[in-house]
Amino acid sequence: MFGSYRLQRLPSSHAGIALAARVAAIVIALLVAGIGIALAGMNPLNLGARVITASFGSAFGMEDLGVLIIPLILTGLAVAVAQQVGAWNIGAEGQFYAGAFAATAIGLFVPGEGPLILMLMFVAGMAGGAAWILVPTLARAYANVNELITTLLLNFVATLLVYYVSTGPWRDRSGMANSATPPLSTDVPSFWGIVHWGFPIAIGLAVLVAAVLAFSRWGYEVRLVGSNPSAAKYAGIPVRKHLIAVMLLSGGIAGIAGMLEIAGTVHRLQGGISNNFGYLGIMVAVLARGSPIGVIFSGALMALILNSGIILQTQGLTTSIVLAITGFILFLTAIGDELSYYRITREKA
Amino acid sequence: MTVAEQSFTPPPGTAPIVQLKGIAKYFPGVVANENVDLEVMPGEIHALLGENGAGKSTLMNILTGIYQADAGEIIIDGYQKEFATPMQAIAAGIGMVHQHFKLVQAFTVAENIHLGWSETPRRASKAVLENRTDELAKRFNLDIRAGATVSDLSTGEQQRVEILRVLAREARLLILDEPTAVLTPAEARELFRALREFVAEGNAVIFISHKLDEVMEISDRISILRGGRKIATRQTRDCDPHMLANLMVGREIVLDDMRHRAEGAAQVSVEPVLVLDNVSVSSESGGNGLANVSLKLHAGEILGIAGVAGNGQRELSQVLTGVRSASSGQVIVDGKSMKGANAAVFAAFGIGHIPEDRLHSGLAPALSITTNAVMREYGQAPVSPHGIYNPRSAYRLAREIAEAAEVAIPDYGMPVRNLSGGNQQRLVARREMRIADKVLIAAYPSRGLDVGAINTMLRYIVELRDAGAGIVLISEELEELLNLSDRIAVLYEGRIMGVVDNDNLDIEEIGLLMGGRTAAREVA
Ligand SMILES: Nc1ncnc2c1ncn2[C@@H]1O[C@H](COP(=O)(O)OP(=O)(O)OP(=O)(O)O)[C@@H](O)[C@H]1O
Ligand SMILES: [Mg+2]
Repeated sequence: MFGSYRLQRLPSSHAGIALAARVAAIVIALLVAGIGIALAGMNPLNLGARVITASFGSAFGMEDLGVLIIPLILTGLAVAVAQQVGAWNIGAEGQFYAGAFAATAIGLFVPGEGPLILMLMFVAGMAGGAAWILVPTLARAYANVNELITTLLLNFVATLLVYYVSTGPWRDRSGMANSATPPLSTDVPSFWGIVHWGFPIAIGLAVLVAAVLAFSRWGYEVRLVGSNPSAAKYAGIPVRKHLIAVMLLSGGIAGIAGMLEIAGTVHRLQGGISNNFGYLGIMVAVLARGSPIGVIFSGALMALILNSGIILQTQGLTTSIVLAITGFILFLTAIGDELSYYRITREKA
Repeated sequence: MTVAEQSFTPPPGTAPIVQLKGIAKYFPGVVANENVDLEVMPGEIHALLGENGAGKSTLMNILTGIYQADAGEIIIDGYQKEFATPMQAIAAGIGMVHQHFKLVQAFTVAENIHLGWSETPRRASKAVLENRTDELAKRFNLDIRAGATVSDLSTGEQQRVEILRVLAREARLLILDEPTAVLTPAEARELFRALREFVAEGNAVIFISHKLDEVMEISDRISILRGGRKIATRQTRDCDPHMLANLMVGREIVLDDMRHRAEGAAQVSVEPVLVLDNVSVSSESGGNGLANVSLKLHAGEILGIAGVAGNGQRELSQVLTGVRSASSGQVIVDGKSMKGANAAVFAAFGIGHIPEDRLHSGLAPALSITTNAVMREYGQAPVSPHGIYNPRSAYRLAREIAEAAEVAIPDYGMPVRNLSGGNQQRLVARREMRIADKVLIAAYPSRGLDVGAINTMLRYIVELRDAGAGIVLISEELEELLNLSDRIAVLYEGRIMGVVDNDNLDIEEIGLLMGGRTAAREVA
């Protein structure tokens, strides 16, 4: 006798099951993608093998991956940091552009080269990102305006602003490139092929943020504010001050991502430079369940997926299918997370 | 109270509405329920008693599909049932009203009643829903305004909406978890009337409470849990509060004489330690706020605040502890004005605060027990010397507080919401008493505590007084106030109606003041 099976919702989710659900989500998404590719008349196993050899089989592949990881970790970290204080920063995309914009301004117009300029660019990138989230932050802190919408809307402004300057006033007049600024004279140095110092900076920042949250008085207060603002107020913690500080930090980190992208990877400012890194950062943070350390791993995973996409493109597939696969993984992960609250029971007939 | 009227013997052969057999539930390191048998008969109000953490809420959460039992069975009308969700339980006629209400605050009463209900008509207009709600309210004789928004309702009204939600879904068994903890005496009487009408039609009620007098008054039978196991089921008419208390704790409870001052106890200071000088506070949500309140609290005394809940108690405790600032007038501690000081500054001065709603403002329910326990001392050594937060020291401090609070905790990393209601209260109270060198503001400190724990709690408050702290005790229990206070101030609609000395106190006068009438001598 089998009886009937039923789903039971548990009051809390099981960490092991959640992880398993995540792995399953990725596997299923890849399987579905494989079937899609097969239907398109290509051999998914062949393509898969080629992706793996291209990614890991050569130093070049690994370097590409290393460069992609940097902005993904940082934008993911930006979103995760804001979550710690109970805010949704959907605007990492715009802050990324703002940071790139501000750093480029320094690179183009402040005379000189070397570490001093690089430092200035770094600070400008961070300040640009923070400035871009300033208005949404103050609106949330003082008028309780939902930051979800305000941060999102500013993305479009930043995108268009960068298009405008890089094809207009700041465009390269030497005739080499039509829709970009001249190359910057100051670069973030590389330490391994094309992988630049942004890589250790991104990982270092994630570790630093995680450590500050877990092991500082300030981090304790931020966690309390994010979890229950009335309890924080009851404990005499300045809720508004912390909200503002953490949201600005979030914007600043996204701005650093933009600065490192132009100064380390692309070496000039151009439209579309973000490659949706800001939006992908939301996915990275969700996959990491808002954990700053987890962002390192989910950022690496996301980089692998994007890199595979680029390789697949050289094999004749479009980027759209890659974006579809990423979206699908996130979708399945969300379902997996919810399912990890359930267990299957058998009811005696 | 006429016990004789309440003899309860269902006719022989009557089948129970619900039967629990051998129910067990284990959490890591905790036996929440084990081998529990319980029968609820039609027509009875069945009280469930037990110490804090005895497993009452857990047992009811199993019966209503929120948790699933690890062993045992639920039998309804002779059939074994398993509930995976509360919806399935309500479909089988079992509904529960939790201590923390689950209504949607921004919706109207009618919308809340019809939310997630299969019988809600599709595409119904507001007027239709309100009419249906009015009819239901009439049918169950509950006083409810169908068109009102829930956030505007008093606690008692919200509870009636919760009850109507359950009754409308044709529940035959209504479970109430500490329903009177948040009600005024008048609202409690109203609730009891509704419950009696409900069971008179052959339905049943399970009633959880720590107030023994109330249990004696309302229940027909009483079951007692201790350490997750059922100790006894008795006819209420065979019980008295004294014996119930013994059954619950397994030992004699001796109530201390609280007003007696120990040898060498601190004297009441000449200068007040805490002064409210003509303080007004605007209200947040349609409440009363405070209007021109002046009060003086001396070291070594207990100042009781009497009054029906909702007359400015919340604002008073908040303004006394820096959670909220006065819109006019000032708060003075040790002769210094506290203008612009936040709650952390008050705490650093030695002012502790047991808030009235522990779950919403005293704790962060989703964070760990350790994180919550150190909320007052995280900023200083040993928890965070030089700004570095040390999780190990935090854990040690949390363990110290939990041990003093007599709460057994298997895992300090689990969310604090997993603790039983009474244990949360004990933890908050001990955390606050630790820092209350100068003043303790205690709002309903015994809310949700079992009899033994109330006695312990009040004894600690008295010890604090003897050590020279000034204490403001906000309570609805007149008896508690009379037992402890040196002076009693009465709060009504945000005003202090009068302050009376406990030594030559006229209870009638207090009653009049609580009802909003000024003392005769003060009338012009
Ligand atoms: N989700 C959970 N995870 C871990 N332990 C739990 C959980 N829920 C309850 N417990 C534990 O089970 C025990 C029984 O708790 P329960 O809430 O049933 O007590 P109670 O009798 O309702 O007490 P009170 O009178 O204080 O409300 C307690 O030790 C509590 O900490
Ligand atoms: Mg309980």
